[in-house]
Amino acid sequence: MAHSNRFWQRHKFKLNGLVLLLPIWFLYDSLTPEFPPAWPAQQLGQFEIAPMPLDLKPPYAHHDQYVKDFYLSFSQGDIASIRQGYLNIGPVPLPLPELQQDEEGILHGSRHGQHVHAIAPSQLTATDKVWLTLQTWQGEVLTTSWPLPAQLLAAE
Amino acid sequence: MAKLSNRFWFQLHGWFSLPIWLIFCFVCLSGTVAVFSHELTWLTNPAARASNPDNLPAKPVAELVASVQQAYPTADVGSVMLFEPYLVNAVIFTDHDKPFAIAYVNQYSGEIQQINEGMTFINFMRSLHGWLLFPWQSGYSVGYYLVSAMAIVMLGALVTGLVIYKNFWRSFTRPKVRLHQGKKTVLTDLHRLAGVWSIWFLMVMSATGLWYLIQAVMWHADIDIEPHAPLVAAEQLPATAQAPVVSFADAMQIAQQRFPEFQPSFLMLPEHNRGMYTLMGGGDHIFYDQYSYNLSINPWTGEIAQQKSPESMTALQTVMHIADPLHYGTLGGIWTKAIWFLFGLLLSGMSMTGFMIWGSRTVKAVRESRNATYLQEVPDGAQ
Repeated sequence: MAHSNRFWQRHKFKLNGLVLLLPIWFLYDSLTPEFPPAWPAQQLGQFEIAPMPLDLKPPYAHHDQYVKDFYLSFSQGDIASIRQGYLNIGPVPLPLPELQQDEEGILHGSRHGQHVHAIAPSQLTATDKVWLTLQTWQGEVLTTSWPLPAQLLAAE
Repeated sequence: MAKLSNRFWFQLHGWFSLPIWLIFCFVCLSGTVAVFSHELTWLTNPAARASNPDNLPAKPVAELVASVQQAYPTADVGSVMLFEPYLVNAVIFTDHDKPFAIAYVNQYSGEIQQINEGMTFINFMRSLHGWLLFPWQSGYSVGYYLVSAMAIVMLGALVTGLVIYKNFWRSFTRPKVRLHQGKKTVLTDLHRLAGVWSIWFLMVMSATGLWYLIQAVMWHADIDIEPHAPLVAAEQLPATAQAPVVSFADAMQIAQQRFPEFQPSFLMLPEHNRGMYTLMGGGDHIFYDQYSYNLSINPWTGEIAQQKSPESMTALQTVMHIADPLHYGTLGGIWTKAIWFLFGLLLSGMSMTGFMIWGSRTVKAVRESRNATYLQEVPDGAQ
């Protein structure tokens, strides 16, 4: 205890200085963001969609719900023809009537790509998949899924 | 006893500010610069200036959005930010080759003066001062905690400082800086004088800083101070594809009708078909910030699904919306900003003089203790 106190007394200003060096590192980090690789694209009706998790961390709590962030890029299909779309992680896709009750998991963004805070369990398991449910303006409901990659399961 | 007590307060004064001296000083300095971040932007970037030589009225924001849309036909505008009348409006959009871009649009001429795909100085200073650029996790940033916890340090230094400095009010009635009695006296006099004249400023900064600390804890604990923007019910969406019935221009008009004093500052367009227009602005209330009026407008029906104004705020919401103008010094425009800047400099100076006073005492103490050791060692060695 006395030793650690001596260490603090001796080096406190250097430690202050080190903390102030961190913003330089964080600035560099924010200017050169790195994301995990996108998953293979899948065809779903007129759309070809590739999801990309924003990080390989486990889902995080948001209010009473765990969520995980994704970016969906569309190489085919017009985003404007989607009436509503949702992403959830679990053993099965959540039914649309349940999904549309709330805001979690809803696809949002622009015509160039969509963000989503996917509804997720607190811990990911090998039986979970990422389920995309789209409803088009024609009333069609389309569903597809991606298996969870090993890196994401290893993050648990 | 009184002497011991004085020593105790003096030590406590040092304990509050010395261990994190350098960080505290940096936060003070960056905050001081941040006060004038809008003016510095105006000064250093001609494309950010909203020149208006013909004294034209500002065009409606929806018209500026349309002009960006026209210039960049594949762009999708997500939000618009409005600042002081001398700065351009920032129309934020994405395009096929731009994941994030800000169009600097002159609100008087409608001209797009710059496309910025990076960081703005205003945001950089805010992030540097507010959380030292520490990344945000879900709901918290270590840097935000670190900076807002400085409020405790500041309050502690103020209270202990006033206890040590007996009859401190004399600095108001008979201010003195003794220039010819050595460096330490000059530093001490400057430190005390600046401290006493800054009491009000230290109190404002500590109080608002403590609020930011409470707010950080609430964010972290997922406690909402303001309700989330409501969502359009799925049943309200039309069955077939069509553009929203209520345009952005209509939504702005609805807001203006509801609150005639509404001065838009941050306007968000729906990000999906169940999203709403979220329109924030200020009003005539001097102590409230530029987000104290907030409306969520349903783009399919024109209904105001949620609204907030100073009159309808809860106590916590009121604190939240009066903290920023007090902390930033924006409440009275450029003149109060100038006062905040000046006192920001004084505060930064106090942290420096405080450190220098401590430094000179420590150097003296170390020298004396070395001399004492030396004197003790000589007879020992002679034996």
